[in-house]
Amino acid sequence: MERRTFLASLSAAAVASQVPMKAAEGPAAGRITLLHTNDTHSRIEPFGPGNGAISGKGGMARRATLVKQLRSQLGPVLLLDAGDTFQGTPYFNRYKGRLDYQLMRMVGYDATTLGNHDFDNGVEMLVEAMASMEKLQHRNPPFAFLNCNFDCKGAPELAKRIRPYMVREFPGVKVGITGVGVAFAGLVAPKNHEGIVWRDPYESLKPVVKRLREVEKVDLVVVLSHLGYDVKDAAHDDLRLPGQVAGIDAIVGGHSHTFLDAPVKVKQAQGETLVFQVGFGGVNLGRMDFTLARGEVRAASGAAMPVVG
Amino acid sequence: MKPSPASVLLALLLAVPVTAQPPSVKAEVIPVTETIPDDPEIQKIIAPLAEEIRASFGQPLVQAPQGVFRGRRGEENLLGYWVSDVMRHAAQPLVGAPVRFAITNAGGLRANLRPGQLKVGDIFELMPFENELIVIELTGAEVIQVVKEGLLRRGGEPCSGVKVKVEGTPQQAVLTVTWEDGSPIDPAAVVKVATTDYLYGGGDSIPTLKKGRRPFTTGVTLRQMLLDQCAALGKAGKDLLPPAPGRYTVPVPILEAIRDKTFKL
Repeated sequence: MERRTFLASLSAAAVASQVPMKAAEGPAAGRITLLHTNDTHSRIEPFGPGNGAISGKGGMARRATLVKQLRSQLGPVLLLDAGDTFQGTPYFNRYKGRLDYQLMRMVGYDATTLGNHDFDNGVEMLVEAMASMEKLQHRNPPFAFLNCNFDCKGAPELAKRIRPYMVREFPGVKVGITGVGVAFAGLVAPKNHEGIVWRDPYESLKPVVKRLREVEKVDLVVVLSHLGYDVKDAAHDDLRLPGQVAGIDAIVGGHSHTFLDAPVKVKQAQGETLVFQVGFGGVNLGRMDFTLARGEVRAASGAAMPVVG
Repeated sequence: MKPSPASVLLALLLAVPVTAQPPSVKAEVIPVTETIPDDPEIQKIIAPLAEEIRASFGQPLVQAPQGVFRGRRGEENLLGYWVSDVMRHAAQPLVGAPVRFAITNAGGLRANLRPGQLKVGDIFELMPFENELIVIELTGAEVIQVVKEGLLRRGGEPCSGVKVKVEGTPQQAVLTVTWEDGSPIDPAAVVKVATTDYLYGGGDSIPTLKKGRRPFTTGVTLRQMLLDQCAALGKAGKDLLPPAPGRYTVPVPILEAIRDKTFKL
């Protein structure tokens, strides 16, 4: 790092810690932690024995504890998911996804997107699972379903439950979140996505990211992507997305069940995009901490946190 | 000349808003392990449901008076034949077209079906994985190549829709693959093939399956498909019987050569 830049960042930290923040002066310095899962596939309970390296890992009750701990330690946290909540265990066969979504609300998710398997029982059953989560009596608010590349005009009950993006404001940070889904062809039987038209995710994202930046004036743009990390035989994936759509700070990825140890930094026209994905089945929780100063993604914060029982 | 400390501080303060910083972020993966206690509120919901699921494992499905077995060394894998038959027949209505061939991997079938009353848990033991039924398109020539690859690797992976015969000696062998009714396979014909996402993804070294075109992921796990089939038989008051042997005919010396990895075709 250049000496000048280093000093500047030191003084920025000093300003942030010594000068009380005033809302009227606009964003000064803020911090946000993104916690995320993907492809949880109805893994309500931990993986049983005989599952190799993931035996004994995961489980929603543990995830809830972990999220609670991190929320109380860190303050501004968003809990996100990249889709494919459904299909994989008898819990899904029995409870048709209602249990998955209800527990996600209890764990405290803020937003998810839709993966191909979330359509496995058709649009009607998906809507039913969403509605059961909304109706739940719980102190946590219902979480959002974010997608900007499904045209749901032909499925009004689904359309009214999906938002193209949402904006959440924390002290010193305004975060914009959107989502994209993988093409149905070869993944979702036509009868299961009746009324929904898939659109090019790159083209769908461009106006949304622009709006988040220029109209909503967010500091951080996050995409929940069910496109897959590095999908050579598909036209779209998370590694290629930043080069096609500039202005994304973080991609919370899913679909390819890719176990990454750390996010991959991908260059794009307005800087860098962090591309992350944490396997599947709730085996791992991903964590990305952003520190922002005056609207710029600026520096890292948050040391690696040992998870203790 | 050195600037005064105060002017340096002032300069830095002024520089803050305009200094472009390369974005950097701290991130990590947090494994969700048994060292993390269960959240009591969530666990209270899950515990009785888990009990229900486990109780459902005791639910009766169908009678299998002879059982269905994978077969010992040199015997045919009738359990595998049954699974691949179910795959082929389950795939047809999902794609709305005839499915001529199905193949799975013997290694994925984890338990025999013992004679007597089959329960839901027995199917979970047989198929603990979440493998999905997938339908692809291959040419006739590729179907034959798939059979050959399975044969060389494991002495023949369980399949449905074809008859396979190896004749001759380990040194000089001839492979014949026909459709199940004995009719020849047109190498140029394009046919629909049912398999698993695991094999299509390159698992268990049947590389030609990866060439499959127009893949259709059904969203149905093999296990669910088997559960549905057993439940349907049980409901109809029928027994589950093993399919007839005779799909693979391979002389014992050749099977031994395959196991010793000395056989070439």
